[in-house]
Amino acid sequence: MASLTAPRTHGRAAGSTRLSRRLGRGAVHMLVILLCAITLFPMLWMLSTSFKIPSEVFTRDIQILPHTPTLSNFPDAFQYFPVANWFWNSVLIAVVTTAGKLAISVPAGFAFARLRFRGNNVCFAAVLGTMIVPAVVTYVPNYVLVSRLDWINTNAGVIVPSLAHCAFYIFLIRQYVRTLPQEILDAAKIDGATTARTLWHIVLPNIRPAIAVVTILSFLHSWNQYTWPLLVLDDMKSKTLAVGMQVFASNSESAQLWGPMMATAVLAILPPLLIYVFAQKQIISTFVTSGMKG
Amino acid sequence: MAAAIEARAPDARADATTAFDPAGRRRRTWSRYRFWETATPYLFVAPVLAIVGVFIYWPLLYSIYLSFFDWNFVSPVKEFVGFDNFLRLADDPRFHRALWGTLIYIVALVPAQVFVPLGLALLLWPIRRSRAQAVYRATLFSPTVISFSVAALLWLWIFNPLQGILNKALFEFGFAKVSWLSNPNTAIWCVIVVSIWKTIGFNLLLYLAALEAVPNDYIEAASLDGATDWQLFRLIRFPLITPTFFFVLVTTIISVNDEVFGAINVMTDGGPFDRSSNIVYYLYEQGFRVFQIGSASAVSLIIFVGTAILTWVQFRYVERHVHYG
Repeated sequence: MASLTAPRTHGRAAGSTRLSRRLGRGAVHMLVILLCAITLFPMLWMLSTSFKIPSEVFTRDIQILPHTPTLSNFPDAFQYFPVANWFWNSVLIAVVTTAGKLAISVPAGFAFARLRFRGNNVCFAAVLGTMIVPAVVTYVPNYVLVSRLDWINTNAGVIVPSLAHCAFYIFLIRQYVRTLPQEILDAAKIDGATTARTLWHIVLPNIRPAIAVVTILSFLHSWNQYTWPLLVLDDMKSKTLAVGMQVFASNSESAQLWGPMMATAVLAILPPLLIYVFAQKQIISTFVTSGMKG
Repeated sequence: MAAAIEARAPDARADATTAFDPAGRRRRTWSRYRFWETATPYLFVAPVLAIVGVFIYWPLLYSIYLSFFDWNFVSPVKEFVGFDNFLRLADDPRFHRALWGTLIYIVALVPAQVFVPLGLALLLWPIRRSRAQAVYRATLFSPTVISFSVAALLWLWIFNPLQGILNKALFEFGFAKVSWLSNPNTAIWCVIVVSIWKTIGFNLLLYLAALEAVPNDYIEAASLDGATDWQLFRLIRFPLITPTFFFVLVTTIISVNDEVFGAINVMTDGGPFDRSSNIVYYLYEQGFRVFQIGSASAVSLIIFVGTAILTWVQFRYVERHVHYG
């Protein structure tokens, strides 16, 4: 008997918890959907404003969608400020910085992972040690240096000092190279490959996932960086999007240019968001790894 | 193992490629090969060491040097002033307000960025296998990939006193319009809202990944023994995700004040009356607005020491109290 009743009570209990759980889950979904709406709202509002004509931007009551959508905010933005230059600068700085970081990090990561040489550990510690130096601490001396080099208002002034912040990428590549079987490196060696050839022909093709991760992270980081370019790029035409956009807000004459400003914001947000949409899984797992480094 | 192979491999190569060469040429090729093979590792690490030395370690030392001088960046002479820059900071009410702001950012943002995402992760945990959760996660994470300064501009438009949608909505419901960014009591909270919006998804993701790593056997065993949800969290899940928890905690404390700089500069310029300023913004003003290079360097040293202490605490103290599952 006991064996018959026991499952029944168990079943009832399970049923009720299932119901309450379903209700609870409904509430959870509601709450999280609300949070998602709050998260997306500023970006959707930006998109909506960027397609509005001025009279629809400045209304008394709330107007969510543009009634007569217009594209004119985009060419307008390009006319008020050198947005085309900003966009080009952003692209150039992000691409060259990323390429430079890869060129520095891949050989170093490989050397730290697999090569034996005197001072290996000291060098690696010196590289990792940079991660505890906050970037702000270096700004004043680096500004002095960059202005001595006459690099103020140039892309080089942004790019070259930024290359120093590659410790984490080197760490990632080192970890990845360490997962490669030693046998393939030995085989290359026995076939007469020099270390440099081994890196180029054997290691590089085998660490593509790590290179993809570094490329994505580095591109997003350089595209979005703000403080250092703000210091170096003073001339209006030399700015990047992340830095330049601010003049829409800080320039009192342009305080009313919300439409063109949001159009420029669309340009600034689009590349990282597109990368995010297409490489979402990879970016999320990358960020998780990067967060786990501690 | 690598060394053993490396010692043997060049012989194999020399035999294979130079077996029919005259002895002299073989020796020369061999020694050149030896030279380059010894040099290669150094050539591989030289670029990073050079660039890190010039743009991170040298600036650190030069900051220490500059913090003992009075210099306005253009003058050819730097005047040695001893500890005056530090003493002047101790007397500067603007620095005090910046320190106070630094503290407020920490006190407000640590719970918002450390505990709220943890709660969210626990809420999302039961629906982890559903497609909905993947969508939620991707959505909540999306602000992470955009620039802090652009995020601040989007919110600037929302907070705008006359045309911003927030005030319009408040007005619809019969409330008075608020000058969010020029009111000394609300400005700092606007910056804080942007910062929460920008970073919450990132920490949520870290927690979800950590929860994923908790062995399901533990949870099942405890549930069979009648553990409540709270007990499951307090006695099993939380102890096992403490490494992530402390990582999030310490990095949040270290990075919040650096992160909000962009939002402060775009939205409030530290104002009104330095009420939304913080130590990083103060450094920026000293170094790049009024060109007090000495005092800016002193501030950057204070930031460096503070960060170093927190990092040390994480390694020394916190890690000892952490369970690694």
